[in-house]
Amino acid sequence: MTKRKSLHSHSTGYNIFRTINLIFMLSIILVIMIPILKIVIDSFDEKASETIFRIFPEAITVDAYKLILSRPAIFRPLVISFITTISGTAIAMTITSFYAYGLAQKNLPGRKFLMGLALVTMVFRAGMIPLFLVVRNLGLMNSLWAVLLVHAMDAYYLLLLKNFFESIPTSIFDAAEIDGCTPLQTFIRVVLPLSKPGLAAIGLFYVVYYWNQFFDYILYIQTKPNLHNFQVFLRSLVIESDTQGFEGFSFATQSLKNAAITVSIIPVLILYPMVQKHFVKGINLGAVKG
Amino acid sequence: METYFSEVHIPMGNRSAYAPGRAWNRLWKYRMFYLLMLPGFVYLVLFHYLPMLGLRFSFYDYDLRGVGDFIGFEHFRDALSSEGFTRAFKNTLILSSANIVIQMTLTISISLLLNELKNRLFKRAVQTVIYLPHFLSWVVVGALFTLFLSRQGGLVNAVISGLGGEPKYFLGNPTLWRGTYLFILSWREVGWGTVVFLAALSGVDPQLYEAAIMDGANRWKQMVHITLPQLVPVIVIVLIMNLAKIFNLFESVFVLYNPLVYKVSDVIQTYVYRSGITQFRFGYATAVGLFRSVIAFALVVSANKISSRLRGESVL
Repeated sequence: MTKRKSLHSHSTGYNIFRTINLIFMLSIILVIMIPILKIVIDSFDEKASETIFRIFPEAITVDAYKLILSRPAIFRPLVISFITTISGTAIAMTITSFYAYGLAQKNLPGRKFLMGLALVTMVFRAGMIPLFLVVRNLGLMNSLWAVLLVHAMDAYYLLLLKNFFESIPTSIFDAAEIDGCTPLQTFIRVVLPLSKPGLAAIGLFYVVYYWNQFFDYILYIQTKPNLHNFQVFLRSLVIESDTQGFEGFSFATQSLKNAAITVSIIPVLILYPMVQKHFVKGINLGAVKG
Repeated sequence: METYFSEVHIPMGNRSAYAPGRAWNRLWKYRMFYLLMLPGFVYLVLFHYLPMLGLRFSFYDYDLRGVGDFIGFEHFRDALSSEGFTRAFKNTLILSSANIVIQMTLTISISLLLNELKNRLFKRAVQTVIYLPHFLSWVVVGALFTLFLSRQGGLVNAVISGLGGEPKYFLGNPTLWRGTYLFILSWREVGWGTVVFLAALSGVDPQLYEAAIMDGANRWKQMVHITLPQLVPVIVIVLIMNLAKIFNLFESVFVLYNPLVYKVSDVIQTYVYRSGITQFRFGYATAVGLFRSVIAFALVVSANKISSRLRGESVL
């Protein structure tokens, strides 16, 4: 690397390239950040709805956030989102990691079959209507169980975890077994602590999935809108501009819309930096071997 | 002592005495693992394989009144002669292929440019920012751009009016919708797409570059003759994975389209949703969905075949 640098750092062409590259990268950052920042800034601005080009609000208010926290119609979907994200992730992580743990046993009879069963779902899915009919026949309609269970195991994450578990040296397992650990004890005491990066990466993906989920609620929870999550609420408020029930408020519904979007982004923004280092590593490890 | 985990089995002393029940013994030994795998197995059967049995409804007259007679390929004939389906099929092809071309070009070029950044801190900062949109839900992205592109107070139209132009209804205008949609799709996904390429680039042997420099290759030549060829296997894998997702534009279209622009935006899955769930034509919608699944499956399998012919190894 040093050689490359010393040979070329003085060439004019290369310096021009580096400057252009720098400007290009800065403009990508701007293109990505401006829509997000504008929404966040406007959520503190009472007059954001007026057609005025303004970068920063004249006066900062948090009225929109107070409204979100005080009105059950908005607060309830937020609570549903938290509950389903936590329980959905717990369910999915349990199901996926146990199945991956089984697949990681090289001598497990029927291993190929059980693996194939999961792999087929990566390439072929029956589609929306047959799945909908199954959910309906199982009696899961209008219940949060439908939302929690229909995507409780992703074949790709399963493979990533399996690869992680397989990379643990077999001798460690043998030692645990000789010490009298059952497979479940070995899993909890040995496998889980050794697979933290992989588990963190996949856990994040499930958290993001359940937090971001909206269509399953529209599909499976049709007659009980009080079980809808924050994303469904956000869609009707902003995209379908359904502001029923908020007309009585003196300030602009525009800042309410902006605040609602911001609220939905915040958990992702908090989690993201914490696990970023894990997911890139986790994905690469799985991808290279997968 | 026989263990679950080791690759080599040490046979137990009197094992041959159990020969007829040997298979059973093996299964019994792993009973705890099967127990742990049971929830996953039940999940796969209930939510993946049971629906596959439901694909038979493609050949039945099934609507709100219930499952009717076996009607063969009638739903497929209906679909192919229906204006709604052919429009959705055409839009799916246009949007998917444009999306693949744009995404591949942008992700590969951005990865190559990112790889040239020498300041580690700056490179990390760029990466952190460009991965972020992928983690925002489609509802948030849809809501974000609905407001950002809005005619009242939206930043883009504020700038357009400020420069003396007419405010535009980007998401409600059939001539502007496709471009706007593809831009938003790229906004969310291009950065995330670079992860895989950057990983591949960091794995390129530095000796190759040193040798090239000795031979007098400038940076451009290094890129064309070393970096790009090293990327080819990853490009093929990503292409195949994109083909698998080719017909999967559902959520993004669902949050960004509206009846004003159905003509240019309705894709097969949104069409399936509207005819199946909102109009209760279960048999017909299953048939349309099956059509989509079969094409997507064929695309992936043939792409995989081609790649294994060309490179001697298959991806799947």
